[in-house]
Amino acid sequence: MDNMEPAQILLGTILWLLVWGILGGIRTPNVYRHKNLNPDGTRGLGILAGMLGGPILLLPLWYFTPVANSKMSAGISILLLIGLYKVFALYDPNNLCVTSFNYVMNQTANGLQIGFIYALMAVGLTLIYGIQGVISFAHGQHYMIGGFISFFFLKWMTETVGVPVNPLFGILVAGAGTALLGLLFEPLFLRPMHQGQIERPGEYAILVTFGLAFLLENTTLSIVGPFPQKAAGYLPGTGMVSLGPWMLGGFELGPLRLVADRLVAATASVVLIGALLFFLNRTWVGRALRAVSMDKQAASVAGVNPLRMNTLAFAIGTMLAGMSGAALVPIFSWVPWIGAEAAGRSFVIIVLGGLGSVPGALFGGLIIGLVEAMGTACFPDPTRGLAYKTAFGLVIFALMLLFRPTGLFGRKES
Amino acid sequence: MSRRLPKFVLFLLILSLALVACGGQQVVEVTRVVTEVQTETVTEQVEVTRVVTEMETVTEEVEVEVTRVVEVEAAKAEPIVIGATGPLSAPGSVGGGIAMQFTAQLAVDEINAAGGIMGRPIELVFVDTQGLPERGTAVAERLIEEDGAVGIVGEYHSAVGLTMIEVCHERHIPCVFSETWNDNVTAAGYAEVFRVAVTSTLVASQQINWLDSLGLEYIVIIAENTDYGVPASEAQVSFMTERGIDSDVYFAELGTEDFLPVLTRIQGGERTPDAIMVLVTGETSYNVEQQMAEIGLAPTEETICVANQVAINAEFWDNVPDGNYCAYLRVGLTPSNYNDITQGVDDAYRAQFDRPAPSYALATYDSVYIMAEAIERAGSTDPDAIIAEIEATDRTLAQGRYYFPYGLNNPVPDDQPAWMWHQWPDAAVVMQQYFEVGQDPDDAAVVFPVAFQTHGTALIPFGTTP
Repeated sequence: MDNMEPAQILLGTILWLLVWGILGGIRTPNVYRHKNLNPDGTRGLGILAGMLGGPILLLPLWYFTPVANSKMSAGISILLLIGLYKVFALYDPNNLCVTSFNYVMNQTANGLQIGFIYALMAVGLTLIYGIQGVISFAHGQHYMIGGFISFFFLKWMTETVGVPVNPLFGILVAGAGTALLGLLFEPLFLRPMHQGQIERPGEYAILVTFGLAFLLENTTLSIVGPFPQKAAGYLPGTGMVSLGPWMLGGFELGPLRLVADRLVAATASVVLIGALLFFLNRTWVGRALRAVSMDKQAASVAGVNPLRMNTLAFAIGTMLAGMSGAALVPIFSWVPWIGAEAAGRSFVIIVLGGLGSVPGALFGGLIIGLVEAMGTACFPDPTRGLAYKTAFGLVIFALMLLFRPTGLFGRKES
Repeated sequence: MSRRLPKFVLFLLILSLALVACGGQQVVEVTRVVTEVQTETVTEQVEVTRVVTEMETVTEEVEVEVTRVVEVEAAKAEPIVIGATGPLSAPGSVGGGIAMQFTAQLAVDEINAAGGIMGRPIELVFVDTQGLPERGTAVAERLIEEDGAVGIVGEYHSAVGLTMIEVCHERHIPCVFSETWNDNVTAAGYAEVFRVAVTSTLVASQQINWLDSLGLEYIVIIAENTDYGVPASEAQVSFMTERGIDSDVYFAELGTEDFLPVLTRIQGGERTPDAIMVLVTGETSYNVEQQMAEIGLAPTEETICVANQVAINAEFWDNVPDGNYCAYLRVGLTPSNYNDITQGVDDAYRAQFDRPAPSYALATYDSVYIMAEAIERAGSTDPDAIIAEIEATDRTLAQGRYYFPYGLNNPVPDDQPAWMWHQWPDAAVVMQQYFEVGQDPDDAAVVFPVAFQTHGTALIPFGTTP
């Protein structure tokens, strides 16, 4: 192994993964069927086992045909990740992700921080889908408008009222503003669809939310102009905060160095997601929303008005997008077209997590945040890592569609 | 009624969507409405003439009315269409496109107010390229084929410009580019293509001369993965290699918001860079610069921040509040070198946007004049005649004196780079550096070239005051 060129190691690994992964994925379900066993979940197990051990794992799997379960898949996945990391270390031994654990720890923290903010936006989108069955193509524009509402509120408070306030207040105001937008839009445009007034509701929902997206973006452009704006930071002048160093057993992990503003934004996102989960699980209205998402007719019989719940869900969804934007307006430069990429990322996250699943959107956001950060930070060619940032997330997305089309927490259509 | 209302509002939404989606088409229609209104004023010619007669004893008022008669005469004739392009929607640099659209229209309004060209008004058709190369081809074709443009000016993005030059060449239509820096825009040597902006190589050489004078050894470049960023970074690396300066280039997609992973990677690397150069445009550049400042990567005592040229814009301090001591390339004149035309355009721009006119806005204004006056001198819309007259341009406009030293009658000599073909060679390029938070770019120090230094130094060290 030591005599092999790095490129040969990488090429050999890719070939191994492809050949044995494909063989395991095709053959394993057939073996289970041949033995009159339930083949559910065996394709994924076969792929993972093939990729990890090739014939060493596949032959025992085909001989003993154990019952496929998620614990087994998870165990093999972890071993596979460790194996891939070892190969990566052989291929690129000077990579910071191999040589510095503190670097890996800091990049993980960065990925998780941005992941929570991604998740906040995606949770709104998945909530709308879960209740209404509609993908809102205007979600990115609500995110953008939330940022601008917060920016102009903070500016107004500083320059007109003369009382500068922390951007955290901007998040609340943006939430109220975007919720109001949702409350106005849903009864006007989406309710007729749920009342059976629209002949082709699927196409109608796409068109109407797409139209709203264009309207919002171009109206905002004509009002605020094309020049980038940015709110003052949560903790102006703080820059980085250092947490630690941390100890693991007798091993010092080094300090976590985090950007102060991102830490505040991520914390705010965690609090908001927590509040949403509490609302959905512990309040009557929240339970009613969940009931509508499961069975509209049954919810109606129990005294829940599905139309009102639709409106509420849309308003909460747009509110979360707006709050997510407001959380980021002190961190990124804000322009009227900023929502497009964020919306695309949200679609990936909710499919990854499972359409309609709030916990799925949360985990999906964290996964995408982590993968984008770690991919950029560890990619063997450092000069290209950032250019492929979006692609890293899409690779995970494609793998999820391959292994588990319903997403992490998705429900199979009955 | 309640069933019809959503349909009606939906119809309005879709209509607005269609209008927005058509982008430039919308602008075309607006422009044509204006032309029609002008044409209607022709019916007032008799009345205006009568007023002239009645007021002939009042000299000043007579002059005003005569001007109006000239305008009306011009409006009577078929307009001459000049096409213009720029990014008016994402992913292009929308701010740049809107600035260019404004000054292009400003120039057209002035020319029409003075009687147009060849007694005919100019109709400006400004179309949105979105910064996308494929749109460049499509809009150039449309401007020529559907709108009947006799010449095209403007464009912000090199990637778009590179596709447009092929159309200009194939259709044999003169094009004057005002902000496409890629060398190959003029290096192709097409008779139809002119440029009144700087080139990547010109800019790179100036930046490298400055960095070399500081004795730097290792420079990191963060470049956008576009037809501007890639060749610009290649030119920089080439110059750096010649001077013995080590360099690494990190590419990013235009529109990237989060640069933290790659910036911390640079920070954790074995070598601390002596400078980080940002070759990324628009709001993306602000994200890079602020993020590298807030993590303490640059500017610092060890690492110089070389911000993108958009650091000159008014919104820089809102977006990069920690960007003090960043240096940047200033393309275009400093206010002390403004002439009356520059001042006039700058005043109009400030009145509209509450900020100074950037170089590309001035260049677009100038390119309209160059095109219009060439048509006037040619006395026809024949492309060969217009091209010959653009080559013969010798005119002082907002950015200074324009001339094109190399062209059909005087090919580029072997000792000059190929991009000097139809290239205006005198674009002002200086390096400036901020040294106070919120500083006006006009007060920032000029640090290079030495002849223009305002504070007697090639670099204001981090944390000091000159």
